[in-house]
Amino acid sequence: MKLLEIKGLTAGYGAGPVLKGLDITVDEGEIVTLLGSNGAGKSTTLRSLSGLVPNITGDILYRGQSIKGLKPEAIVRLGVSHVPEGRRIFPGLTVRENIMLGASNRKGLSRRVLEGEVDEMITHFGDLKRLENALGWTLSGGQLQMVAVARGLMAKPQLLLLDEPSLGLAPLIVQQVFRIVADIRSRGTTVLLVEQNANMALSVADRGYVLETGRLLVSGRPEELWNNPQVRAAYLGGSH
Amino acid sequence: MNDFLQLVFQGLGIGAIYALVSLGFVLLIRAASVVNFGQGEFSMLGAYLLVVFFNLWGIPYLIGMVLSVIIMAGFGLIFAYCTYWPLRFRGGLPVIISTIGASIFLQNMVLFLYGPSSVPVDDLFDTPGIQIGEVFLASQYLAIIVIAALLVGLQYFIFEKTLLGKKLQATSQDKEMASLLGIPVVLMIMITFAYSSALGGLAGMLVAPILFVSVNMAGIITLKAFAANIIGGYGSIPGAILGGLALGVAETLGAAYISVPYKDAFAFLMLLAFLMVRPQGLFGEKISEKA
Repeated sequence: MKLLEIKGLTAGYGAGPVLKGLDITVDEGEIVTLLGSNGAGKSTTLRSLSGLVPNITGDILYRGQSIKGLKPEAIVRLGVSHVPEGRRIFPGLTVRENIMLGASNRKGLSRRVLEGEVDEMITHFGDLKRLENALGWTLSGGQLQMVAVARGLMAKPQLLLLDEPSLGLAPLIVQQVFRIVADIRSRGTTVLLVEQNANMALSVADRGYVLETGRLLVSGRPEELWNNPQVRAAYLGGSH
Repeated sequence: MNDFLQLVFQGLGIGAIYALVSLGFVLLIRAASVVNFGQGEFSMLGAYLLVVFFNLWGIPYLIGMVLSVIIMAGFGLIFAYCTYWPLRFRGGLPVIISTIGASIFLQNMVLFLYGPSSVPVDDLFDTPGIQIGEVFLASQYLAIIVIAALLVGLQYFIFEKTLLGKKLQATSQDKEMASLLGIPVVLMIMITFAYSSALGGLAGMLVAPILFVSVNMAGIITLKAFAANIIGGYGSIPGAILGGLALGVAETLGAAYISVPYKDAFAFLMLLAFLMVRPQGLFGEKISEKA
């Protein structure tokens, strides 16, 4: 069943469109990855989905209903949670407080229930237990990423938008992050993953889309993309 | 020594007013990135509301104060709608100019309605004060210090212990991320405007018996509170409180020991000294400009 349909999406920030008529679909329970070089429009796609790009044409259907033009607060309430590039952890709040605020889209949640869910989330991301009272600005890149994902999951999303989760992380931490991505899907959450690390992204994804200067270059299952010479040369290092 | 302690007490009283108004400044800077030069006008309007309720209509003092605070909170929303909302995507400078324009409008509106004369207002309490040794603690100064301390405590509780406070902090630190989490950013900013306006109005009511109520009180309170904000560290909440208190004590001591007519100058001399020696203020971070 289609969870998300992007139809002819054109979007940008004023000086000409970044996305030029993009078509993407994401089925329920999938991990779909968007690949492409810097400036291809991957992050702009996620920002458009979250209501952060005001000038868009085309349509975005979530569960069959248009979410084009809705504000970010309204979109996350529908079950679309966005973990943006750069993690964007609130630097003056603790890890626990950051994670707690991830549930701000859920109305009527009592403080007791909320605290319990935060405890569960912190326990799930084992490394965060000893850091729960640390302020955001004191965390390392890997720790920030864990908090950002944990915060994103507190929204109980049906669709999680993950933007460059491996950016700037050490290889061991990158592997840990992608294990978490696979785990998120196994718990029933659909993931739309933007990555520059194409090898890692395709290792967990069910399907991939390769973007080039705001347009779709090619799409398919990971093995199809691995075997596409054009894609291999440009984005996969050409050696796989 | 007793004279000195007496002066420090009075300075802390006046400084607490600057601190409250400066706190309003800082909250808006942090929540909405707005430098509101109409902050002093909130104090002036609060004080005039007290004059209307207590002096003109005979409503009991405390009830008049409560009503004025409620009205000022509502006024903060109108102020935000007129000065901030239409310009919120245009950067900081247009909003600053808009608040300056609003402050001029409000001063002239009050001038038109009540004229240029100063209006006296009674103290909050009938008792003149408490004598401790050789130091006399005047009741109005004591009330200012106690109420300011309670408000700072209340604010600490809201910001540090409640979910609303965490959402307000998140909004001030990264509005876009806050909106991605489902935090109603516009509501958070409007709450901050309402609170800043109520805080400014309350400060005006508390200082009214000391300064008297006049159109001119707005400008000087705005400037002193802004100076307190710079001295304490731009955008710092503890800085606003300490900067305000330091400014109040410095100008009171300067006036007593050096020159009364130059009382206001001491506050601004202190500001200049900080800008030269420690431009980041007491609690601010030193930020160097990138080449």
